Amino acid sequence: MSPIYLEAAVVVLGVFLLALEMFVVQGEKKILAWLGIAGLGIVLAASFFVDQTAPTGAVPSYHAFYSTDSLAMFFKRFALVTTIIVLVMSVDYLGVVRKFTPGATAHGGLGEFLALPVLTCAGLMWMASAVDFVMIFVSLELVTISFYVLVSYTRRNAASLEAGVKYLILGALSTGFFVYGITWVFGLTGQTNLEQVSAVFAAYQGSTAPLLFAFVLLVIALGFKIAAVPFQIWVPDVYQGAPTPVAAFLSVGSKAAGFVVFIRVLRTFFHATAIAHKIDLLLVAVAACTLVYGNLAALPQNNLKRLLAYSSIAHAGYLLIAVASSADPASGGAIAFYLAAYLPMTLLSFLVMIVVANYSAGDDIADFNGLSKRSPFLAFAMLIAMVSLAGLPFTAGFFGKFLVFTVAIAQHQTLLVILGIITVACGFYYYLRVVKAMYFEPDTTPSGQPGGQIPVGLLTRVTIAVLIAAILVLGIYPKPALGLLGSAAPQEAAGVLRSVSPQVVLR
Amino acid sequence: MVTLNDYLFVSGLLFAIGFAGVMLRRNILIIFMCLELMLNAANLSLVAFSRFNLTPERTPNYNAQVLVFFIITVAAAEVAVGLAIIVALYRAKQTVQVNDINKLQF
Amino acid sequence: MSDKLPWIILFGPLTAALLILLVTRRQRQLSAGLSVAAVALSFLGSCLLFLQTGDQHVQFAWLDFSPRLLVNFGVTVNVLSKTMLLVVTGVGLLVHVYSVGYMEEDRDMARYFGGLSLFMFSMLGIVLADNFVMMFIFWELVGVSSYLLIGHWYERPQAADAANKAFLANRIGDFGFMIGILMLWGLTGTVDFATLQTTLAGYQEKGMIGDILPYLTVAALMVFCGPMGKSAQVPLHVWLPDAMEGPTPVSALIHAATMVAAGVYLLVKISFLLALVPTAREVIAWIGIITAVMAALMATQQSDIKRVLAYSTLSQLGYMICAVGVAAGEAAMFHLFTHAFFKALLFLGSGTVIYAMHHEQNIWKMGGLRAKMPITFWTFLLGTLALMGCPLLSGFYSKDAILVAMAREHPAICVLGLFTAFLTAFYMTRLFVVVFINRPTSDAASHAHEAPAIMSWPLLILAVPAVGAGWKFVAGPFGLGGAHDETTHPGSVLLGYVPVLAVSAFIVGALLGFIVYRNRAADPINIAAFRRKFYFDEFYAVLIRLTQDGLARLTALVDRWVIDGAGVRGVSGATWGTGFMLRFLQVGNLQAYAFLFGLGVILAIYLAILS
Repeated sequence: MSPIYLEAAVVVLGVFLLALEMFVVQGEKKILAWLGIAGLGIVLAASFFVDQTAPTGAVPSYHAFYSTDSLAMFFKRFALVTTIIVLVMSVDYLGVVRKFTPGATAHGGLGEFLALPVLTCAGLMWMASAVDFVMIFVSLELVTISFYVLVSYTRRNAASLEAGVKYLILGALSTGFFVYGITWVFGLTGQTNLEQVSAVFAAYQGSTAPLLFAFVLLVIALGFKIAAVPFQIWVPDVYQGAPTPVAAFLSVGSKAAGFVVFIRVLRTFFHATAIAHKIDLLLVAVAACTLVYGNLAALPQNNLKRLLAYSSIAHAGYLLIAVASSADPASGGAIAFYLAAYLPMTLLSFLVMIVVANYSAGDDIADFNGLSKRSPFLAFAMLIAMVSLAGLPFTAGFFGKFLVFTVAIAQHQTLLVILGIITVACGFYYYLRVVKAMYFEPDTTPSGQPGGQIPVGLLTRVTIAVLIAAILVLGIYPKPALGLLGSAAPQEAAGVLRSVSPQVVLR
Repeated sequence: MVTLNDYLFVSGLLFAIGFAGVMLRRNILIIFMCLELMLNAANLSLVAFSRFNLTPERTPNYNAQVLVFFIITVAAAEVAVGLAIIVALYRAKQTVQVNDINKLQF
Repeated sequence: MSDKLPWIILFGPLTAALLILLVTRRQRQLSAGLSVAAVALSFLGSCLLFLQTGDQHVQFAWLDFSPRLLVNFGVTVNVLSKTMLLVVTGVGLLVHVYSVGYMEEDRDMARYFGGLSLFMFSMLGIVLADNFVMMFIFWELVGVSSYLLIGHWYERPQAADAANKAFLANRIGDFGFMIGILMLWGLTGTVDFATLQTTLAGYQEKGMIGDILPYLTVAALMVFCGPMGKSAQVPLHVWLPDAMEGPTPVSALIHAATMVAAGVYLLVKISFLLALVPTAREVIAWIGIITAVMAALMATQQSDIKRVLAYSTLSQLGYMICAVGVAAGEAAMFHLFTHAFFKALLFLGSGTVIYAMHHEQNIWKMGGLRAKMPITFWTFLLGTLALMGCPLLSGFYSKDAILVAMAREHPAICVLGLFTAFLTAFYMTRLFVVVFINRPTSDAASHAHEAPAIMSWPLLILAVPAVGAGWKFVAGPFGLGGAHDETTHPGSVLLGYVPVLAVSAFIVGALLGFIVYRNRAADPINIAAFRRKFYFDEFYAVLIRLTQDGLARLTALVDRWVIDGAGVRGVSGATWGTGFMLRFLQVGNLQAYAFLFGLGVILAIYLAILS
């Protein structure tokens, strides 16, 4: 069975959920989420049994557009897991959606909120496999346009609408740059397939200016997706305004898919050896700015959602360190591991935030005051998420950063390593502020009233437990866990990335 | 004789005008139109590249034209969603001026 | 079975800690029982392991990023680690048992025992680790668990502050340690102790050591930063006395017998590296002896019973570190070994006193406890004598070994060492006389009585090794207390007289202490500099304030408003302020965003194409 059936199955599932929405009894919309979770779970399981070998033949099939390498499979599974957890969050968040969505009936408009992430997931999965600029463009837009809708979904909420408009305009702007960049690549090479583009680049002898121009345009557009400075400007506002599950989805799913496309496009440009040092310069500059901006601007934040937005920029910075060290064979593995660590810790913090915010009707850090007394379980979960985001040892985040720094040191990216280590120290400050609020502040809500116990649903409880376990297991003994992910064990993934373009000597 | 450079120049001009519009205009609808202009700039140069980068068989390179169709389609989808969001915004705030939407900041 | 033994020893306490955390949090007695059982199991395992002859080296790949980095998760079992295992689990077991009595009325007893088990796990990890990365991780874990234990009574501000101080001082040291590890890794491409040794030996054979010597020296000194923090050497010693805010059994276990000894243990473990870098050794020796002298001076003026013992610990650690510095790793281990017993005994004894005095720690409010608490009196006496270096008791032999090594390498250091020995005898006599012999000075002291059996038994048991651990037929099997190898080193004139001088230092110090302090109700000597710990705390406070002021002024020039409005404090404040300003990029206006986006585009194009 070819992996392309996975996407097909997800699309069918999404459409099915949309159709089913009409027949579901009022108030039972949650069943859609459960169906979605079950369906995606089945697809996830099936992804381990698909046949990854591409057919060899003279006739170009869809494999000219669609790669089935391990990198693609890893990011497909990544997208599936993310979407499943986002659906879990959505179940908890339905109350808020209901409050801020106008509809003919009390429960109108909830079904789409659960079906759209599934369709977005299909887009993310296609992005993971796309190896042709046409395919990349279409799948990227599928994801982006779905997100326009999702971000502004709770449209009675002014903040959500504002976030939607900002995302729409800036997203479309980045699309413009992306398309224009593709145009220039096409003009230079006459090809849209990444492999053929690489071949032309490898033999390229002409002026470097148009090549660099095309590269810059693509970096701008993809930098927007992965929230790299100076194209991160939308991130804090959109995360804060968007419904929380959507913000989580953006920060994990959209970013990871952005990175896989970024890696693939970047590898194409590495074939043009004439511009290698410029590429390096640009990547280092972007990574450095992202690190500094994300970490420093996070320091004075008081809203947790906004804090996580800046944190998401900061983590993009660490990932970019690895990207800037792409000459190293292990960099691909480092990126994959970092993202695999980033998934549980970010989603866990968003999930806990939804539960707490549901209860205290706010997502400021102050709303977490004394959480350890109100709900030790949630506080512990948040603690794990925060220390992992900060990168303390024995958490997944530590090895993510460790691998990234290892790669960077091997590539003599001294500036980035120094900046990285300094900013990690900043990170301690703002992540541990949340911990401090939970464990050392008196147990009061901002209104001054002592809060009570926070009820946590079974599904949420199980998900939180699984995410905690994932963070700890990845942090203590990552090897077998990575083996389970199949292809993503560092060295293996590195090998995969090399095999994507075997004829290349990177720089 | 109109050369490739002429097309590229016009396309670049269109792109720049669109971008300038996004940066300078206040009305979200106009900004949105400017964004479409940027996409069309790309379309123009794609078609030009297709026309001037002939394949060995002396036919235009259709890859680019396929991409143009996709861009047009995607742009339409984007407009559909975008206008819906802008309408919702207008209903909520009775304004489509960018200056009036700045509640989320810092 | 035998190759599983180290794992059982290591993971027993971790299992207990996890069970306490997850399951038995609310059952106090059960938690305590679990914790004690786990450490008893570890102790039993260590004994079995000790009886087996031969070394073991078990490992499996933990993080495999070969060829660049391969971190094994492995254990080394040799004489050195076996000895350390026995000390750690043995003293640990007694302290656990003692804690059952001492913490009986504490409402957070389960948390306490959880922390204790976690500590045992991390400490055993340090002992068994076969590579730097593992060592570092357990090193950090030890720091965390000691933080938890020092801050056990976190409602008391001093305890919370002390915990923070300990954590910060250790962090500074650990940062250097980490850099040292990275440097060594960069130099040799390995973090494994055994491989490192062979690699360095290989370098030496090829005569390459000379080229990398400066680098290696810096790396060794960086690694030494770790022990400097954990073993509380000057100038990072400030945390240890404050750490006495924690429960007394914790002081006995962590801050006397085990954790602080970890630094010495590490240095002995990497003595093959130190052997190559004489300059670094010299620095280490001086830091050690300076710590020893300074801490002994400070100890003479403390009035808190635990603080006296804390400074005495500092001083003895200084001895050990210095011994490593003069290339006498074995002597350092020997002293570590004996010190663990008599210092744990002293701390537990002081705990019993404090318990009997209803948590009064001021020695000038005690007195006359000889008759009230006979068991404590006698055991404490033995511990005191051992610490002072009374002939025939354990401390004498190990201290002698160190002094001999000092005399051989560095007469000046030896003189300072003898001076410290004199001071030790002096302040310990002072403590002992004031607490046990003088007349009672308060009601509590008059009505004190012996602690329950669960607390006095550990004292009695510990008294045995405190007396006998130095005897040759006891220490021999541990590879300690061997004959001094005097033939190979010519040594100085001092060498022959060392035992005589040491004994005289002991007698003079003890007599002087007895004469000065007999029947005194207040301290007749008053030296502010000693009492105020040479103003180290004040110095650091001023240092921190000055740096903060300087930086604050600097930033004030940049942005007056941020300073006034947000209260910038030092480095953290400056970064915070930068972040504060950076967020104003996020003005909220879409147009501005598009404009910034455009600026980014121009910058990117400039950087890529035009620059």
